[in-house]
Amino acid sequence: MATVSLNNVNKVYPNGFQAVFDLSLELVDGEFLVLVGPSGCGKSTALRMIAGLEEISSGDLHIGDRRVNDVEPKDRDIAMVFQNYALYPQMSVKDNIGFPLRLKKVDKAVREDQVGNAAGILELMEQLDKKPATLSGGQRQRVAMGRAIVRKPSVFLMDEPLSNLDAKLRVQMRAEIASIQQDLGVTTLYVTHDQVEAMTMGDRVAVIKDGVLQQVADPETLYSEPSNVFVAAFIGSPSMNLVEGLVTKDGDHYSVKLGSQTLAVPSSIIAKFPGLDGQLDTPIIVGFRPEDLDDAAIYAEHPSDQRLTATIDVREALGAETLMHFKIDAPTVDSGDPDALDELGDGNHARITARFTPKSKAKVGDTIGINVDVTALHFFDKTTHKAISPRKADVTV
Amino acid sequence: MCSGAASRRPGTTILWGKTNVTKRTFWGFTIPSVFVMVVLMVVPLVTTVWLSLNQLLLRDIKSPKFIGLDNYREVLEDPEFWAAVRFTLLFVAVTVPVQMVLGLAIALLLDKVGRGRSIYLAGLLLPFIVTPVVGTLIYKDLFDRGGLVAWLWEVVTDDPFVITATNVKWLIIIQSIWHVMPFAMITFFAGLQSLPAERVEAAQIDGANFLRNLWHVILPHLRVLILFVALISIMDAYRVYDSVFVFAGDRFTEAHTLQVYTVEVAVDPQIGRVGKGNAIGVLNVLGIFVVLIPFLVVSYKDQIKERT
Repeated sequence: MATVSLNNVNKVYPNGFQAVFDLSLELVDGEFLVLVGPSGCGKSTALRMIAGLEEISSGDLHIGDRRVNDVEPKDRDIAMVFQNYALYPQMSVKDNIGFPLRLKKVDKAVREDQVGNAAGILELMEQLDKKPATLSGGQRQRVAMGRAIVRKPSVFLMDEPLSNLDAKLRVQMRAEIASIQQDLGVTTLYVTHDQVEAMTMGDRVAVIKDGVLQQVADPETLYSEPSNVFVAAFIGSPSMNLVEGLVTKDGDHYSVKLGSQTLAVPSSIIAKFPGLDGQLDTPIIVGFRPEDLDDAAIYAEHPSDQRLTATIDVREALGAETLMHFKIDAPTVDSGDPDALDELGDGNHARITARFTPKSKAKVGDTIGINVDVTALHFFDKTTHKAISPRKADVTV
Repeated sequence: MCSGAASRRPGTTILWGKTNVTKRTFWGFTIPSVFVMVVLMVVPLVTTVWLSLNQLLLRDIKSPKFIGLDNYREVLEDPEFWAAVRFTLLFVAVTVPVQMVLGLAIALLLDKVGRGRSIYLAGLLLPFIVTPVVGTLIYKDLFDRGGLVAWLWEVVTDDPFVITATNVKWLIIIQSIWHVMPFAMITFFAGLQSLPAERVEAAQIDGANFLRNLWHVILPHLRVLILFVALISIMDAYRVYDSVFVFAGDRFTEAHTLQVYTVEVAVDPQIGRVGKGNAIGVLNVLGIFVVLIPFLVVSYKDQIKERT
């Protein structure tokens, strides 16, 4: 067991491309930390630097008390699980799992014992004599896990280990990996581009974009207090709705203007964002999550001045909820997520997604009232994209 | 979709294996290749066997005389035949492993080269591209009087370099390795390109050094290609002709391989004995088959395993 600490770690490739900028990150002993970000954001590079598969251009990497910048991968006391499993195809499952021990010249009896142990944990006892080619994707990934477990490393490094599995299996393996990690208590760094995986598996989640760390926090904080527009849009599915708007003050009454529509916001809520005072009547970015919207026809008791009016464009009935897509005439916002589809549209009609109760009768083409839970609004600076004075300071950038 | 009206005509559809094809489609697709196979393989093979059972001279080609197995008896009693068998086997046993090991070593080095790979690759392929006879002549010039190697030899040892019946065999073998090695090299190099980097990295983290990595990761990955190269190289080496012809010619009959010996027997204008030549040909085919049996068995087993 060990801590892992990265101190101002940079990665610059020979062609001048910088993949990681001044990354500082601390993994506590036994922690499951997920590194998440869109494709090409440098998260895999960061993991590979810790594994020793990529050289660290500058900065310090410590595993436990030891600076391991120049230590060979095999001597870093780590084990890695790869996206494509990276099993040895000619070896049986047993030999695959036992391979690291064989290289360490561990006695055969001891080796078989430990392989048996790992196979027991991973429910691979029946598969021990099979070749990887005959296994399913999930079983292969478990063999790869087994190979990591037998080494009894102080750190597990996992590079998108579930992205080759089908959706159902992924959900199952997600829970399995998390529970194995909990049982073994090994410090784990897990890289993924899937924010659902990040949120469900991580004790803490580090969001990274373009090689720069955006925010490190536990999943709840990340969701409720994103430190900037990117994190706000990236975490959560469907994403947070982000539109350009104004906060205005008329006497004691505050309101948020989104295009031609206005939401009345109690001053007690505005008071939670001290930074807003300086930004009254200037364009800022307003965010609200899909679940903070609902059908006014169903929840009529909601204050009528905290409503939007819009025409439904698309309706997706998911059973437990119904997603409604519509547009309002407020300027759009670029969250900076390269994987997001056409956020901008024509620039003046922000797309909004709402998570309605399935009781809603609204159909495509209906113009309806949409309740907004104004207590759950997020505000971001328009130029810096940073959250405006969030309630707690859990911001690393 | 493209078989059009024919396939829809009732009554002509037959079930062939698991697919529905018309007889016309079936024969239409198979007859051209069956025809080519018969003309290019079956006819020559049958002719060869038939001719090997006849006494037939090149200068009197129109009057074959059936003599049964006499040609075979004669061949098997001919010391020149056995000399050719010995040298051919030595040639195969040395050139094939050496060219494969060298080819693999160079492929591994080339795989590490980042910049200018294609330049090295082109340079390394050159011996393979040069016409064999031309390549052999250039190489032979090195050892002839006034050639670079002959000159160096003389400078160092004070004796003139002479091609002898003994060293000519090794000169032929070395030349052949130089000539065919690029085939193994390029094949293994291509194989290395498809080796997943993750697997090498996993082995690296697991603690494998270069030799372990070679043994547990690289060689298993190249296994099929190694088999393939061995098969092709053995066949090629067994049938070596041009370089031996250029080097040994009439001067060193001790260094004749089976192919050279065959040609000598069969197409010499004066004593060309076509019947005996064909008998050697048949023995050659049997010989190469025997040499290849272990490889054929292994690759057959691999195929079966892959399908199940």
